[in-house]
Amino acid sequence: MTTISRPAERSQLYLTKITTRDLNVWYGEKQALFSVNLDIERNRVTSLIGPSGCGKSTYLRCLNRMNDVIEGCRVEGKIALDGDDVHGEDVDPVQLRARVGMVFQKPNPFPKSVWENVAYGPRIHGLATGRAELDEIVTTSLERAGLFAEVKDRLDDPGTGLSGGQQQRLCIARAIAVQPDVILMDEPCSALDPIATARIEELMEELRARYTIVIVTHSMQQAARVSQRTAFFHLGAVVEEGETGKLFTDPREERTRDYITGRFG
Amino acid sequence: MTRIVDPVLDDLRQKILRMGSLAEAILQKSLDAIFKRDAALAREVRIDDLEIDRMELAIDEAVLRALATQAPVADDLRKVVAIKMMATDIERVGDLARNIAKSALRLSEDPAGELPDGLRILADESRRILRSALDSFSQYDAKRAADVLDDDDVVDERQDDVIRNAIAGISRNPARTSQEVDFILVAKNLERVADHATNIAEDVILVTEARNVKHASKLAADPGAAEGDGDG
Repeated sequence: MTTISRPAERSQLYLTKITTRDLNVWYGEKQALFSVNLDIERNRVTSLIGPSGCGKSTYLRCLNRMNDVIEGCRVEGKIALDGDDVHGEDVDPVQLRARVGMVFQKPNPFPKSVWENVAYGPRIHGLATGRAELDEIVTTSLERAGLFAEVKDRLDDPGTGLSGGQQQRLCIARAIAVQPDVILMDEPCSALDPIATARIEELMEELRARYTIVIVTHSMQQAARVSQRTAFFHLGAVVEEGETGKLFTDPREERTRDYITGRFG
Repeated sequence: MTRIVDPVLDDLRQKILRMGSLAEAILQKSLDAIFKRDAALAREVRIDDLEIDRMELAIDEAVLRALATQAPVADDLRKVVAIKMMATDIERVGDLARNIAKSALRLSEDPAGELPDGLRILADESRRILRSALDSFSQYDAKRAADVLDDDDVVDERQDDVIRNAIAGISRNPARTSQEVDFILVAKNLERVADHATNIAEDVILVTEARNVKHASKLAADPGAAEGDGDG
């Protein structure tokens, strides 16, 4: 068994970043995912769409083993990151979550300064040897998150004092700071206004040059705008996965069409 | 369940069907003007064509609004886009009818001159094809649309017949050159009507089967053609 280590230079050899095979998930007695097979392509934004309760967030949380912390949750099947099983015996979930970072629906900065929010991860992961190096990581991460120009004069102010959109970008900077390969976003714009949403969407397009992004969204238009691949989940299964432009002009499955055109129900 | 987008799509559909009916009527009128040597009818065509132009503007506006407010996807999106493309083709049919009416005005000055049978046959064919194309849209009938695509060749042949006969007529009787040239012009315009009907049928196939069959035979014949998968 190979240890999940980072950064994984050899990963550049593969087009597929994450492979999912026959993934089944239960919350207690209730099965939430049914035999999901899905490949996530490198340096692309993949949208997961589907009605509430369809399993898309459950799937997202499997990718960095966030479900491990949910009591009664049982996961079967294989998820491989660059070919390595994320459930491998040697895999440290904390390390995995650094490589597969996550941004949530509601911006959740630590109740600390902007600088601390970003520096926290690299410090506990031992990615920097001193303050100068940490400063550099903080600056680079904030720049990549498109936030540095707005906060450079208030790095010591509390992160919670920023606007909602800025807080969400701070959370993205925080995820970036620990050098992830993959960034998972669970409805990252649902609490944001259209301008802040547009900034996050533009950011996704920039970030995908370095990272692989998987986003759960309820906005069909957002999925259509930001992603290159889209997977439609329904009743815990993947109904259809494909190139976003194709899926939104000519879906293969009738259920996909009914969902994206609002005929459902 | 009625979706908010449904009445919007229905309104667009009604608009394009009305525009199509008007185009059929104006084409009929221009041909009546030819065959009945009726100058007054020919003059009406110009007025009617303005109405088609107005309808095109209304459809453009409605399409933009539908795209902006409804952000349609899948078959909804294909319908909106197809209707926009159809409006362009139908508007062109109006222009062609106007051209035919111009010929009708000139031909009406020679009420005794004989009209070639081939022109009548071509006129019937073109009208029939336009009708079929519009019907295939109103019924979302891909099969009927495919038949329209097949029929286009027939019209091309009929047009060639008229042109060949007109050229022969000019050699026989150069004094009738002006009339024979108008026969050629009318034939050309009718052939173009059938081309636009073909485009409409192609739009119907896009709506119903999500296949873009435009230029299909031409591109398939091109040995350098390689089909991209559209991915990425």
